[in-house]
Amino acid sequence: MTVFVCEDSLDGILTGVYDAWDSRLGHSRVKLQAETEDSYETYELFCQYRQVKTDPGKAEKVLRTVLRRMGEETREAICYACACSHPDKADAIYRLIVLGFSMEDGTKAVNYLQNPSVLLVMKLRQKAWHEAHRMLGFLRFEELPGGVLYAGMEPPCAVLPLIAPHFADRLRQENWIIHDRKRGLLAVHRKESRWILTDDEDLNSEFLERRSEREEEFRILWKIFCETIAIEERRNPRCQQTLLPFRFRPYMNEFHE
Amino acid sequence: MTEIRVRAGMPVMEKLRILADAAKYDVACTSSGVSRGNSGDGIGNCIEAGICHSFAADGRCISLLKILFTNECIFNCRYCLNRVSNDVPRAAFTPEEVCELTMEFYRRNYIEGLFLSSGILKSPDYTMELLYETLYKLRNQYHFGGYIHVKAIPGADPLLIERTGFLADRMSVNLELPTAEGLRTLAPAKTREKILKPMRQIQNSRLEYGEGLLPGTGSGGGRSYGQWPAVPGSGRRDISVGKSRQHLFVPAGQSTQMIIGATPENDFQIMSVAESLYRKFDLKRVFYSAFVRVNEDSLLPTLPGGPPLLREHRLYQADWLLRYYGFEAGELLSEDRPNFNVLLDPKCDWALRHLEQFPVEVNRAPYQTLLRVPGIGVKSAQRIVKARRLGTVDFPDLKRMGVVLKRALYFITCGGKTLYPIRIEEDFITRNILDAGERRPYGISDGVTYRQLSLFDDQTLIQPGNAEGRRKEVG
Repeated sequence: MTVFVCEDSLDGILTGVYDAWDSRLGHSRVKLQAETEDSYETYELFCQYRQVKTDPGKAEKVLRTVLRRMGEETREAICYACACSHPDKADAIYRLIVLGFSMEDGTKAVNYLQNPSVLLVMKLRQKAWHEAHRMLGFLRFEELPGGVLYAGMEPPCAVLPLIAPHFADRLRQENWIIHDRKRGLLAVHRKESRWILTDDEDLNSEFLERRSEREEEFRILWKIFCETIAIEERRNPRCQQTLLPFRFRPYMNEFHE
Repeated sequence: MTEIRVRAGMPVMEKLRILADAAKYDVACTSSGVSRGNSGDGIGNCIEAGICHSFAADGRCISLLKILFTNECIFNCRYCLNRVSNDVPRAAFTPEEVCELTMEFYRRNYIEGLFLSSGILKSPDYTMELLYETLYKLRNQYHFGGYIHVKAIPGADPLLIERTGFLADRMSVNLELPTAEGLRTLAPAKTREKILKPMRQIQNSRLEYGEGLLPGTGSGGGRSYGQWPAVPGSGRRDISVGKSRQHLFVPAGQSTQMIIGATPENDFQIMSVAESLYRKFDLKRVFYSAFVRVNEDSLLPTLPGGPPLLREHRLYQADWLLRYYGFEAGELLSEDRPNFNVLLDPKCDWALRHLEQFPVEVNRAPYQTLLRVPGIGVKSAQRIVKARRLGTVDFPDLKRMGVVLKRALYFITCGGKTLYPIRIEEDFITRNILDAGERRPYGISDGVTYRQLSLFDDQTLIQPGNAEGRRKEVG
């Protein structure tokens, strides 16, 4: 068995798919593994390990072929599934692609939920999609001096690239920054231009401490609104907690004192 | 009567407190049903599924800035906090204040848009004019492209309602109470005809300015509203080819709500009303609002157990069965059985009364039949239908696809076999389903008189969930 160890990113995993296929060792003799911090602990004895060098060109080729042969739904599923951390996700994505390319109509492969790899990819897609969708609502921007909007978050999946396009369209006329503090990533959008993904090393943390003059006023208005809109006779904190778990609340200013 | 009790110079904070409080009994907070991209020169877009931005302490979603324009009102509806005879603090926004709140909240991603309703100030026409003016400013001066839900005021000039409809995404007229008799006793100023008239108008205008006119992709993108009608009420705008198929008029459709438990209607009457609203008025949603007694009034019922939340929950469950599962009100209830089962959800209740149709074979049953199996929802039914084309489906597969097996197992076979040896018999299945942890309403005990002895006190009752919480449509 040859294990292709690839970087834990969409490009990394897709390069792995390319290399594993290209190696001509046979699908049953190769395995894909995304590199995580503790993955060296799980190295097996009778396996050969090959390090995959991430190549956006190869990744692009794979994704284009997936789109052509397996359709948009599959392409999206793979992109979303990559955002989750799961030890078997890279291999599951590989198996899904192998399956889809072997079928006459590759778009049907994602329906084959009896297959464990397909099921895993679709489960992860669902998880990342749900997380991304929740972040679209629960993200909170705060206005810094000069009108720049800043939002921080710590999502369990890497959803930043999945949600940034939504805000780039919605807040097209605004300068904004979304900060994934867990992964040290930033999405930065300049008014009327494209958003970019970058790391947060150069971020001036002092700048982030300050707020615009009217920020506090709107924060209080929003808090008042949220408290007023609840109907006392229907109070149900358990239901509230199910729909809005505590982990989101530190970043949501209606829950700040 | 038309004397204004609104204090001049009230700070916005105070107004927001009063007017959000007055708006909270309106149920609809959905931001779904319309998809459009940014217009290019403004702020905002809409996504089809809608987005919840927060959840209030009662578990209801907060998606829109839900406020009244004013809580001043010339009517005296007995169930309403803002009726003219109540001595409550009164306030009114200005259009600019509403616009600024909406824009600043929207930029910070607090909300999906605006839900604007109002008490009746001076006259229905005067009030509708104010709502129109606010929306016009928000769309054309502030270039707001987010979601707007606005009330059509019954009795207002149809022309005003039409103009407003071109600026809004969703419009609603509240039915208030399920029957005309109910209205007569509790809301003497309103009649059924007066309420249905704007509803019919919106339905017809949606058809007239409807999607059939627009050739295009039907997905993604969004309507380019380069600008909202420039001359107020100028009617149809230029239709740009290649944009998505969307209504120009109230693109997300109309909804309504009725108060449950203030008048003595039974569930069958309520469901029949809802069904005919869906069929005859092409409504997107009917909302049910458990009655909360806010006024001391001899004509209102006292509800010692609090608002009838469980009843509301059962009505929502049945509402879903009407809209997505192909059920009819007459199948779920009848004159002889006019109310829903307290212990079982409407679908399970139906299935138990129609055991002659079960079990169904998962690998062969048509989609519509699968939908009628308790424990199988729309998503899992779709997954089953797609997956079985590629190979047979067995019980572990069903579990992975999201079927609730502890419920479905009494009604299905896989490859001709049931999961366990079971008897297709009403009492047996009812007992087992209730034992398997059907969420039981607070305060209602088992119904089964015998129980496995236990050394430990494990009979904790589960508080029933909030109906709003389990709504499947986001919003």
